[in-house]
Amino acid sequence: MFVGLLLSRYLNMSVEGQEAVTTVTPGQYILIEGNDDEYPFVAKLLKFFGDESHKQKKALVQWFLRLSEVPQNKKLLLGRSPHPQEIFYYLGRACDNEINAESILGTVHVRQDNSPDTLYVKLSWDTKAFNVLDPVLMQDTPASTPPKPALPLFPPCASPTATPVAGSVSDTRATMSAGKRSTLEAESIHSASKLSASKILSAKRRGSAADTPGVRKKLQLSIGASECLYCLFNILFSPFFPELRKELRNSVCFPCFLIQVTPSTPRHATPSIPSRTVPARQPGNILDEARARLHVSSVPESLPCREQEFQDIYNFVESKVMDGTGGCMYISGVPGTGKTATIHEVIRCLQHASDMDEIPTFRFIEINGMKMTDPHQAYVQILQKLTDQKVTADHAAALLEKRFSNPAPKKETTVLLVDELDLLWTRKQNVMYNLFDWPTRRHARLVVLTIANTMDLPERIMINRVASRLGLTRMSFQPYSFKQLQQIITSRLNKVKAFEEDALQLVSRKVAALSGDARRCLDICRRATEICEHSASHPSSTGLVRMSHVMEALDEMFSSSYITAIGCASLQEQLFLRAVIAEFRRLGLEEATFQQVFVQHRALSRVEGLQPISVSEGLAVCQRLGACRLLLLEASRLDMLQRVRLNVSQDDVLYALKAVRD
Amino acid sequence: MSKRKVKETHMPVGECISQVQMILRERFCHQRLPEKPVGMESQHKHLLELLRRTAVHGESNSVLIVGPRGSGKTMLLNCVLRELLEVKDVNKNVLPVHLNGLLQTDDRIALKEITRQLNLENVVGDKVFGSFAENLAFLLEALKKGDRSSSRPVLFILDEFDLFAHHKNQTLLYNLLDVSQSAQAPVAVIGLTCRLDVLELLEKRVKSRFSHRQIHLLSSLSFIQYLDNVRSQLSLPQDFPDTKFYDEWNDSIKTLCEDQSVVDVLQRHYNSSKDFRSLHLLLMLALSRVSASKPAIKPTDLLEASRVCMVDSKANILHGLSILELCLIIAMKHLNDIYEGEPFNFQMVHNEFKKFLQRKSHSIHNFDKPVVMKAFEHLQQLELIKSMDSSTAKIQKEYQLMKLLLDHSQIMEALQKYPQCPTDVKQWAMSAFG
Repeated sequence: MFVGLLLSRYLNMSVEGQEAVTTVTPGQYILIEGNDDEYPFVAKLLKFFGDESHKQKKALVQWFLRLSEVPQNKKLLLGRSPHPQEIFYYLGRACDNEINAESILGTVHVRQDNSPDTLYVKLSWDTKAFNVLDPVLMQDTPASTPPKPALPLFPPCASPTATPVAGSVSDTRATMSAGKRSTLEAESIHSASKLSASKILSAKRRGSAADTPGVRKKLQLSIGASECLYCLFNILFSPFFPELRKELRNSVCFPCFLIQVTPSTPRHATPSIPSRTVPARQPGNILDEARARLHVSSVPESLPCREQEFQDIYNFVESKVMDGTGGCMYISGVPGTGKTATIHEVIRCLQHASDMDEIPTFRFIEINGMKMTDPHQAYVQILQKLTDQKVTADHAAALLEKRFSNPAPKKETTVLLVDELDLLWTRKQNVMYNLFDWPTRRHARLVVLTIANTMDLPERIMINRVASRLGLTRMSFQPYSFKQLQQIITSRLNKVKAFEEDALQLVSRKVAALSGDARRCLDICRRATEICEHSASHPSSTGLVRMSHVMEALDEMFSSSYITAIGCASLQEQLFLRAVIAEFRRLGLEEATFQQVFVQHRALSRVEGLQPISVSEGLAVCQRLGACRLLLLEASRLDMLQRVRLNVSQDDVLYALKAVRD
Repeated sequence: MSKRKVKETHMPVGECISQVQMILRERFCHQRLPEKPVGMESQHKHLLELLRRTAVHGESNSVLIVGPRGSGKTMLLNCVLRELLEVKDVNKNVLPVHLNGLLQTDDRIALKEITRQLNLENVVGDKVFGSFAENLAFLLEALKKGDRSSSRPVLFILDEFDLFAHHKNQTLLYNLLDVSQSAQAPVAVIGLTCRLDVLELLEKRVKSRFSHRQIHLLSSLSFIQYLDNVRSQLSLPQDFPDTKFYDEWNDSIKTLCEDQSVVDVLQRHYNSSKDFRSLHLLLMLALSRVSASKPAIKPTDLLEASRVCMVDSKANILHGLSILELCLIIAMKHLNDIYEGEPFNFQMVHNEFKKFLQRKSHSIHNFDKPVVMKAFEHLQQLELIKSMDSSTAKIQKEYQLMKLLLDHSQIMEALQKYPQCPTDVKQWAMSAFG
């Protein structure tokens, strides 16, 4: 879409907007259209006036801010949680106090005392701090407003992002991190967008009636270019119109002169995967149903086999939440033993209890060492989940430190789950130290549950002061026994009859013997249902998963493929493997150079009656075996001198080769 | 074939030949997908079923396709994807993301690429905004918000899967596989690798999250099938415009594949490797010898192509050496014989060479030592000899220990073919000890 069209629409409409019907008088508090339908901007009307061409009514206002409009990083300055009806007298200078009369939505009552249902004002905000409001400012004297400088034509942030010179594209990353920009600039964008948003909204509302898509009014040349640009920037920088911005992302063409606008930084991007046009199909038959239930992701109705651990963790967290104290707990266990799942279950139950008012409310936060790029990101993620702020790691650490060490009224307990703790290890171990130190603070009210795989992690990797703070509340999850695995599958299937009893027992015994990993167990069962489905065409099949299917699935997942791979290798590759073994026998070592092996290879091919291959070919054969990791090779630039080792046992190779010849 | 077509079948031979070359080249070089993958029906079915369930039912899955190089892993996957996208409801719903371990060498690059291909909201044009940490958090958040029934399934295709396992902490693999095992947006993680021991590379937490489905592509193709494949690869398709030429060409291919010398050549190739990529190279070389004056592939073409394919690269380099350099190589060969493969230095080689000059040589005049040194260095640059010392050790050039990177057979073969090699040099090379 061209900006030209957009601008002409705006101008066109503002001409028609004369018949605004409002009954407001100067001195009243008014609501002005903003980005949020629920929370329009609040201001006090000072006076009405017509603009230069006397075509449009404008109004001079004194702005009031809601806390949501205060920049994120300044909200803490208030030092208390704000009342939803509280607003702040705006003393900043960057916000244009002229508005279009049409954007006024209506009047509102504003008081200076604390009242539950109307807006009230107690403090003023001057872009740097909250101050107690001078009551003089609130009196109905329109003349008392301080004169304000006109809004600069280009908002300060505009210069790095867009230039009116054709073809020059500046680096958009300059405006990327809001934290680096000075507060004043951030404030000015905010205020500038406030005005433009109301302008655009009102324009859009009325424009929809007047404008037909076919009509494209030419932009009149009398309109100053700078004015055009200003509008354009307002549109671009208002965060309220993602769809407009999307249209404007491509290079924008002007009727009077060409400008190139670099794409704006997606500061308010929402993370989401596009949704599908056709909803996913529901499982059709019993095997499908069983497969869906057996998927690791499906949340079971209850967690069997971890009752004791569940109770212990539940009691621990519940007592801490009740007392308002803090503490640490360390949970270990090999992968797939239900550590994270159990804690989630505990939290679910506790949330339920707190909903029932049985225990005080608490916050639950989860971080995972594997889901961050660097241990210090832990601070950032915790702070973001606690307060929705986005700051750098160092700053986050400082803020969290303050939060957990200073007393604050009405603070609720925070339950923090740290998954994959071992990845938060740093050389100085300060991340771990802080995580375990905060709960010991008097006012922290922090419960930290940590998870890792090894039981002796605190002794192995933590220095004394960290290990000591972690404390001795430990718990270890034992690998599941075959009975437990069987119970897990049965409870997941929940009376869906898809497996024969023996088949289930085979899976669970096999997995329990190998690792006790519940995920593995469920995956094997899932694969078995697939195999069963494929062989369902046999007349003898009962539709149930039988032993044979499970055996096949187990074979697929656990059997080593080396022997099959050797069997399927080409003749020269097999010969080369034989040569390797022959050379190993000759040398009495498990290692030989390619040159030595190749001599054997040549001799063997003479015995077999094959044409001997050249060295280049021999190297190619060797490399192919190395790529599959049947052989382990040195770097190939050593050429003939590279050393060769077997990655399989000699017996396996001989067995596989014998099977081929028979 | 319709009547109309029979009428207008006559095309000039030159045009036919260019048509043939175009069709066959596309088969051999452009990796055109075959109608149906040969010899991997069960694997094809398994993979197709798996991906279909992700696409249609929104079931998350992970799978590894393992097979040696050139065994058709990518071909199989592409065939399956093609078939999958032909299903009506699917093609608008799945989001394929292609990654390659050789291109996305670390998680930072991989994440940017994923975000770019998914075209999430922090992508503008071709650029992805935000730091590594932000990108990771953004992607995970996006995947977490999705759910089984309403989000579009994402197919993550990780080529050279083993290289992703070398990334720091295996963060990317952990997260992708974790998503595939939790109730988030439906994903299918498909890894392609030629390493049979790939699972041992995965960290225990990552391994636990992987479903352990492996599809092995190990060709158990017999030589008869291999020969059939050659025939079908060289044959023209039914819809070739000129029917007369079509018949002639296909007949000639049939007789070609029955020729004993051709069968021998193909058997040799089959013995060395069963993969189709090296076969395509051979057929491509044969095809390039077809012209308007010789409108068929003859057995000699295939023999010549095979000779080019099988040629020893080192022997080729030896043909380009000077007599002096060749003499040095022979001296090294004798040193190798005497000292049983122990490394030698320039001084030893030079002594050996001088002995030869004094005793036997009539045709080669005495070179100065610096000239011989130069020749020696040239051999080192060609990597026919390789220094055994580490580069940091400061040893005089003459005394640096070297090893010969040539086999005796290569030297002898090169001497036989060397143009106008002096007889005394040849005799020196043949003699047992210097």
